[in-house]
Amino acid sequence: MSEKNTVRSSGTLQLINGKKFRGELVAGEQGAAFYAKGKQEPMAEWHYARMNRMDNIRRGGTTSQITVILKDDTRYVFELAQGLKLHSFMDKNWADKPVVAKTRGDILHEQAERLGQKIEVPKKHLITRRHPNRSIGGDIVIYLMLLLVALAMFFPLFFMIGSALKPLDELLRIPPPIWPSHPTMDNFSDLFVTMGKSFVPFSRYLMNTIFITVVGTFGHLVVAGMAAFVLAKYEFPGNRLFFAIVTTCLMFSGYVTGIPNYLIMSKLGMVDTYWALILPAFCAPMGLFLMKQFMEGLPTALIEAATIDGAGRFKVFWSIVMPNVKPAWLTMIIFSVQGLWNNPATTLIYSEAKKPLVYALQQIQGTAMTNIARTGEMAAATMIMTMVPILIFVFSQSRILETMASSGIKD
Amino acid sequence: MQSQSFASRYLTMKREKMAHGWTLAKRNKGCYLFLAPYAILFFAFFILPIGTSIVLSFTYYNILEPPRFIGLQNYINLILQDEVFLTSVKNTFVCAVIVGPVGYILSFLFAWFINELPKWLRAVAVIVFYAPSLGGAAVNTVFTTLFRADAYGWLNSILIEVGILNAPNMWLLDPRYMLTIVIIVSLWMSMGTGFLSFVAGLQGIDRSMYEAGYVDGVRNRWQELYHITLPSMKPMLLFGAVMSIASSFNISDVPRALCGFPSTDYAARTVVTHLFDYGFVRFEMGYASAVAVILFLAMILTKKAITALLGRVGT
Repeated sequence: MSEKNTVRSSGTLQLINGKKFRGELVAGEQGAAFYAKGKQEPMAEWHYARMNRMDNIRRGGTTSQITVILKDDTRYVFELAQGLKLHSFMDKNWADKPVVAKTRGDILHEQAERLGQKIEVPKKHLITRRHPNRSIGGDIVIYLMLLLVALAMFFPLFFMIGSALKPLDELLRIPPPIWPSHPTMDNFSDLFVTMGKSFVPFSRYLMNTIFITVVGTFGHLVVAGMAAFVLAKYEFPGNRLFFAIVTTCLMFSGYVTGIPNYLIMSKLGMVDTYWALILPAFCAPMGLFLMKQFMEGLPTALIEAATIDGAGRFKVFWSIVMPNVKPAWLTMIIFSVQGLWNNPATTLIYSEAKKPLVYALQQIQGTAMTNIARTGEMAAATMIMTMVPILIFVFSQSRILETMASSGIKD
Repeated sequence: MQSQSFASRYLTMKREKMAHGWTLAKRNKGCYLFLAPYAILFFAFFILPIGTSIVLSFTYYNILEPPRFIGLQNYINLILQDEVFLTSVKNTFVCAVIVGPVGYILSFLFAWFINELPKWLRAVAVIVFYAPSLGGAAVNTVFTTLFRADAYGWLNSILIEVGILNAPNMWLLDPRYMLTIVIIVSLWMSMGTGFLSFVAGLQGIDRSMYEAGYVDGVRNRWQELYHITLPSMKPMLLFGAVMSIASSFNISDVPRALCGFPSTDYAARTVVTHLFDYGFVRFEMGYASAVAVILFLAMILTKKAITALLGRVGT
């Protein structure tokens, strides 16, 4: 391997049995090799020239995944740690062509040489700045604007957090300070006292929410995952039509279908049970949509190889496909949890003992409108309700974005 | 003779196609089995409700008595007699026209600007812009505090302090300001799932395309945007459009939480709150269904129009 046309990237290599190794992938003109951390000998090696039809190297489910399947049935999923570094050099059809780390400048030079022309483009360091066609002035204006808008976007949330930490005298000061001068947790303890005195204990609301969220999310994952798998990977009559209908239903919110939904629930005898919230969550169109788009990026060869080995469709789904789409899982879980967490279910559940936590907090918000002494508790309740989904997002952002990369609708 | 043979050939072709479809379906029986749990639930909780809405929209139905067929009467009443409906259509239209396109374009622009930031700053920026749409209905109470009608309201107290106002303004009860505030708050929340899709999509664009573009003479960021970025973002743009149609036509939580329900002079009534009023307060299910059907049609037509429009981007 000549050093010049070699691409190096650190990352993890995942064997198909799930074992992971950290190390470095080196891809060159003739082939690629993976060196486990601290090892001189390559752990896995493959040569483009020696590969035949069953061998397959291509970008996997995500932009940062490469799946390698060799003839002797060794399979690898290579995950790049630094995202797109390798990808930027690679040709779109990595499977068909050897990887050559050529810049656009190199290619132009080759073309010119062939035609016998001379060109001005420098061969090396064609682009030294990260963004060559950006004016500095424009950058400054745009980032200033971005900063201002970001401040405006953040202000209400900042005000909300500030209010939750204010003691009562600061809450009622004119003009209200944005951030308390004596931050206190009193509002939260007051909130728990109020919740403790309520007719239905606080823990009951919490358990309701946890039960609904956990069952609803798990079912959604399995039910929508199975549907997404066949929609993405098999061709059968009705496939496209079904997916088109689901895509259209992404637009319809809960309120618009709320009335007939209620009628159907009451026919099924599910009004005032947890199932009224859980079952519709199973078939949320957003989850199916994202999962299907993500699974399309998964190499078909992976599935074919397993099918040839004699694995049934469910086994392929459960032990080959599902482990390879974990980012999509997480995204689905998060959208589902958000939907269920924020659903006060005012129309479908009327027994106080079955109401979710959000409902209870909304009641406290409601009383604060008339009872000014409860303002602090209201601010605390608002903050709890808002921060839970935001915190979940903060901790799972990179995985969600990885999934969203395949979210586009192709027509 | 000639035409007959054409017809018969066409029919044979059709029949063969159907037979082929049938064999394909039989060969993939397992697929339907996999699809079945989702399909059944989806049918029960999405398709059936939409179908029921369409059927009920031609009836008078108040839950207590069985539905009575009244033809197009609901639609006629909606358009000719219900002035509040027309107000709600007007409000939804204003909201949709402003929040939809503006929110959509801003989502894309900010995603595009953010894309060029260093990695850690990008992560922070994504959270700051996306957080408002995550908060859900709870955040609305923050705005009720900010826009409160008395001097405890933050906006009022600031404006009085500065000297622009003498007495507190009833921001959320005065028809002059209500819709504007609803639009501002909705815009604030409009960086939703579509925005995430844009951020992720921009990250996925092949860097060599930009290099190629630079060599081929792209000189500033706007040329780059139009010739390289937008065409490679088409699928995400369509997804974002679907999401922003959904959020702008379905505006209802914000006006209900901020301006009350019903709002003063119906100044903040939208189609969905109108539907909610007739469905869950007055129990005129048939009438509410007619509102829903009109909303479905409006959304589907808008999506069709946008798909056609996006087909032309960058060509």
